[in-house]
Amino acid sequence: MAYLSMGEAHRRISSYLASFSDAIAAQDGGALKPLLAVSSSSSPCPLLGVADALVAFHDWPRLVNQSERFSNLGETIIPLLRSLQSYRLRRFADAYASYEKAANSFLQEFRNWETPWAMEAMQVVALEIRLLAEKADRELALNDKNPEKLQSAGSFLMKVFGALAGKGPKRVGALYVTCQLFKIYFKLGTVHLCRSVIRSIETARIFDFEEFPAKDKVTYMYYTGRLEVFNENFLAADQKLTYALTHCNSRSRTNLRMILKYLIPVKLSIGILPKMWLLEKYNLVEYADVVNALKRGDLQLLRRALQQHEDQFLRSGVYLVLEKLELQVYQRLVKKIYIIQKQKDPSKAHQIKLEVIVKALKWLEIDMDVDEVECIMSILIYKNLMKGYFAHKSKVVVLSKQDPFPKLNGKPVGS
Amino acid sequence: MANQGGDPVPGSGSTATEVIGGGQGQTVLYPSSTPSHHSWSASTAPATVSWNYKTDTATENGYPSNSGYYYDPLRDIPNSGATQTNTISTSQNTPNGTQDYSAYGYTNPEYQNYYYNYHQPTHDSSSQQLGATQNQNTGAAYQPLSSFQNSGSSYVGPTSYLGTYYNTGDNQNTAGYQNNSYYYHQPNPPHSYSSYSSSDANSVQSSTVSTNPAYYQQQYYQWPQYYSQNAPSLGCTPGTENSSVTMTATSAVGVGGGYSYPSSQPPPPGTTSWRRDAGTSTLPSLQEKSNAAAYQPTVDQEVRVPGFQSPYIPQMPSYSQNTMNTSPLPTNNPQNQQNLLYSQPLTAHVPPANQALPPQHTVATLDTHRVSKMQIPTNPRIASGLALGVAKSDKENSTVNAAPKPAYVGVSVPKHSSKSSQEDTDSMIKGAFPVALRAYVERTFARCKNDAQRAINQSLMKEMVTKASADGTLFTKNWDMEPLFPLPIDSNEQNNLQSSDLLSSLSKSKSSGRRTKSRWEPAPEEKLVEKPEPVTNDLAKVASWSRPEATERAGSNTWKLAKFLPSQQQTPSNKFNQRPAKKSRFSEPSNVTENGDASSDSDKEQSLTKYYAGAISLANNPEEKKRREHRFKRFEKVQDDQRNAKNYRAKDVGGGSIYTRRASAMLLAKTHEDGASREVEDIDWDALTVKGTCQEIEKRYLRLTSAPDPSTVRPEDVLEKSLHMVQTSPKNYLYKCDQLKSIRQDLTVQRIQNGLTVKVYETHARLALQAGDLPEYNQCQSQLKRLYADGIKGCHMEFSAYNLLCIILHSNNKRELSSLMTRLSAEAKENEAVKHALAVQSAVSSGNYVLFFRLYKTAPNLNTCLMDLYIEKMRFEAVKCMSKSYRPTVPVKYISRILGFSRSVQGEESEDMVMDKSEECEEWLRAHGAVLTVESNGELHLDAKASSSSLYMPEPEDAVAHGDANLAVDDFFTRAS
Repeated sequence: MAYLSMGEAHRRISSYLASFSDAIAAQDGGALKPLLAVSSSSSPCPLLGVADALVAFHDWPRLVNQSERFSNLGETIIPLLRSLQSYRLRRFADAYASYEKAANSFLQEFRNWETPWAMEAMQVVALEIRLLAEKADRELALNDKNPEKLQSAGSFLMKVFGALAGKGPKRVGALYVTCQLFKIYFKLGTVHLCRSVIRSIETARIFDFEEFPAKDKVTYMYYTGRLEVFNENFLAADQKLTYALTHCNSRSRTNLRMILKYLIPVKLSIGILPKMWLLEKYNLVEYADVVNALKRGDLQLLRRALQQHEDQFLRSGVYLVLEKLELQVYQRLVKKIYIIQKQKDPSKAHQIKLEVIVKALKWLEIDMDVDEVECIMSILIYKNLMKGYFAHKSKVVVLSKQDPFPKLNGKPVGS
Repeated sequence: MANQGGDPVPGSGSTATEVIGGGQGQTVLYPSSTPSHHSWSASTAPATVSWNYKTDTATENGYPSNSGYYYDPLRDIPNSGATQTNTISTSQNTPNGTQDYSAYGYTNPEYQNYYYNYHQPTHDSSSQQLGATQNQNTGAAYQPLSSFQNSGSSYVGPTSYLGTYYNTGDNQNTAGYQNNSYYYHQPNPPHSYSSYSSSDANSVQSSTVSTNPAYYQQQYYQWPQYYSQNAPSLGCTPGTENSSVTMTATSAVGVGGGYSYPSSQPPPPGTTSWRRDAGTSTLPSLQEKSNAAAYQPTVDQEVRVPGFQSPYIPQMPSYSQNTMNTSPLPTNNPQNQQNLLYSQPLTAHVPPANQALPPQHTVATLDTHRVSKMQIPTNPRIASGLALGVAKSDKENSTVNAAPKPAYVGVSVPKHSSKSSQEDTDSMIKGAFPVALRAYVERTFARCKNDAQRAINQSLMKEMVTKASADGTLFTKNWDMEPLFPLPIDSNEQNNLQSSDLLSSLSKSKSSGRRTKSRWEPAPEEKLVEKPEPVTNDLAKVASWSRPEATERAGSNTWKLAKFLPSQQQTPSNKFNQRPAKKSRFSEPSNVTENGDASSDSDKEQSLTKYYAGAISLANNPEEKKRREHRFKRFEKVQDDQRNAKNYRAKDVGGGSIYTRRASAMLLAKTHEDGASREVEDIDWDALTVKGTCQEIEKRYLRLTSAPDPSTVRPEDVLEKSLHMVQTSPKNYLYKCDQLKSIRQDLTVQRIQNGLTVKVYETHARLALQAGDLPEYNQCQSQLKRLYADGIKGCHMEFSAYNLLCIILHSNNKRELSSLMTRLSAEAKENEAVKHALAVQSAVSSGNYVLFFRLYKTAPNLNTCLMDLYIEKMRFEAVKCMSKSYRPTVPVKYISRILGFSRSVQGEESEDMVMDKSEECEEWLRAHGAVLTVESNGELHLDAKASSSSLYMPEPEDAVAHGDANLAVDDFFTRAS
């Protein structure tokens, strides 16, 4: 940190205070926005200088209290600057605590402003408080303390949501806050808390969902889509994630990848396979083997793929979804046998002996006895992946002559 | 102060039960006279809040905030008046004091008052006044007694009693009272209303009386009569079981009466009060007490006794005592009646007094008023404690008797230690300390009444200062606002205002403490037998033996507000007497008051603090000290880290120290709440942890409703035996579950978290699994999860597997499952049980019934038990699947084998066995609507096509309305046995 003269520090702080108070007086949200972005102060930004000045000039609260112009903003501005100072000194937990204080007082003001002029600023606050909380939690965890800041950021954002979600012009900002909340809840693993927010967004008649900003809509759809994946509600998940994919800015690859990470398993489970180039383009090659297994009916490959990427799949929460693809792999396998039989003797093709299937599985190095395979065949028929019946006496699968292996065509298995 | 008399009743309430109890007590007081009263009684808790507010309002002339209660300014004014008396006592003339005096006496129906009054004569006029205040306080303390019927009932069934109890037993009482209260009200209708609505009839009354000199005279005359009447009652009491105790009390009264009577002035007020109570609405309280005191009168009592008896009978064998007690009461009735007669004329005088009072007092004692105001809230809390305690005391009369005693003792030994607090302060604090700290230390010393106390105080102060300087708050802390920690208090202190408060709380504390104890003890009566000492005239002792429990019971929240209280309390006693006009004092209390929103809570806590202080103050007589010391030794382990423990004991304050310890710990908690720099971690939790002493291996589980009693908590080594006993016991699950729950409870209250804890939970979880008691299992599982996370060794893997299975089979929460699977370590995934659970998961997920039932047969540990609960569902799914996919038929034998009806492993089974199982399977299939046909070769087959449309899931036979068959007791019993 370069040496900073007292005078310079004084000047910087004063100018910050002046611009802050000017922005509020002029109700200029755009001008206010950068002044609240504490955690971006490490990038080239006016706040960086101010932060240094605060560190150098310890008596800065006097500056705020001195002038009447600032003193009524003191409740916001003093903790805000304190937060900035702590952040500069890399004391994130302190920075968070101060910032939350400032944010609370800012929210108070925000409630009183009739027009949503400060919406951008409020959104910056919502973002900042989450980022600071994450940093603070990391710091706390390192020091063996209870990382609970993110949780309290969550409850603060709930308050913000409460201030926005009602009728009126401020509602436009509600979805942004919702998305910040989603991020927190998903991180904390308390996704059940999303429900109330979702209800409030989706049941409101007074505000059309389409009127929210596009970026918020995409984020929202992404998270709610993920929730549907957890619930194995594939149709809804498909719809939401597809919405997110199509509305997402096509240049933000990381976002597209994040959406695809969930959309691909969803699509797989409703029988739609991606092209390999897509997986490669978005670096989602972990799905490649799964897709190949589905194409070839190679059960062994599927199991290996699942095992290989188990941690990854479990963490993203798609493991259980992918595991369920097994039945489709069986279907593919039986279909292959059927096709081969058809090539040899079309008249007997619709009758597949159980032992043939058992043998095929053995080739795949999967050891299943007759009972189990019989059970699988039974399930395939039951779940409508095969048309036909199983004759227990003769241990033969008898396939329907018409469309023995119906395609899922965008419907989940078993529907 | 005047308010205090009334306060206890409304304010009762740390717990819901208590509140209700208190409220009821109130209701009982005024039922017949005021119609509006009912609404009041319905919601006691709000009442407390509003009450406190009220006080505030009086001072600030302020908020209409009171929640729908009719608080009349009038009422407040009386309060101020009362306060005034106390504080100004030194400066004001005696007659005035006497007036107030009488007012107080009026409020407090108890004979306790009498005692106070007697002693007062011995002091100079100012001290008399103080005594008066004391009286009042004691009275306040007692008032809760009136509510004790209710609390008693609440003990039995907290929720229900509001409606029922009130209407039945209490109503009867009311009927009895009606006349009395009626008299009272007639003379001054406006007053009665205001007072009733506020529920603080007493305060009003007292104020009214105070101004009226003429009034006294009359009472004066009556006074002798009263005593003479009393005398016979003495004779009666011995007849009761409690006789010994009662005797002491009564005799004491007699003596006091003799004494006071000659001394002329003070007695009259006392008399008045006595009368009044008997005659007026205060009666109910009287009755309650009267029961205890045995000499107390009332026709009503007869009625009442049956009323409250009924709730207790089932619970307390000792109850019979109570009934016994009642017998003497009738004899007393005549007295009571006489009192009533007298009271009538007296009341007539009241109205004028009232009118005169308000202006005078308000103006004169603004200062004092505020301070006293703060005190007022205390009572409700105490009262609540009382309400609880009284219920208990009812059962055991000795306890009740004890209640008045301590107060008495305190009074009898008037001794004013005049050593200046300044000296002490100087000795303590040298060098550069903040002025505020100095003042604080001075304050703390100022309240010490003798050397022993000073010594304690000194050590405590040292500790505080060291702590403060250690954590750097020495100069930042607002010492002016710093609460004074409660100090063991001498009985000598009765001259002091503060002490009077404490005393009042005292009476409550013992009874409440007693109550707690009873709650804890399997057989409270035994306790009584064990301790014959209460019979002796050391009332303090009786009170004190319950003290430890009381202290513990208070728990953490109760202490939180301790901060406010002491300072307030302190102020009147010291500052005001010495420097009544000090301005700085002014603002503080009032500020506090203005924060009124929070005050409802804080008041509770304040009162609790007082209650504690009161309890501590009991410490003084030698016997008690000895016992305490003995008890104190129990805590030594806990106190390892407490540097001062030894000091305390050396100074003969023994038992007090642990409580002081706690107090300071709680103080810390409070400070933390106030945003001071202390952290929660600084709280000395060890000081708050119970250390059990119970040696019983077997103990029934009883859900805690208050702080645990060490004497009913088993220490770790005993718990280990208990666990072993349960593990080897041949008894059924129900018994084991009960025992394990009590073991768990004991572990929890002692904060034992180690291998034993894990073992206990594991044992319980396994037993629960075997019995199919999933809810209990889940409780254990969640505890185990935490314990394992803390790194305590156990059968972690086994329970990971159970946990997995539980989620897979019974919660079906995919997100939870995947997060759980994410957290499984590589080592866990190699574990056989976990592997098995994961295999089950994939079998279930794909619907692979063959695999599922194979896994079922090979399940390790108790995985089988968890799978058992899923079998029905799996079988049904399987048969549905088969009936859709198989054509034309499936042999039942095959189904039986596949679906696990034959439990034995393939190949090992004999033909007979298979046949048996097939029959079972056939039964099952038929029960689920399957269509079975007999093939040409005589084998039974499932007709798949026909079955596909006819299958259904039968209603479970053990279905219950509430949805959880495990909760159906009958079924549970049969399965558990």
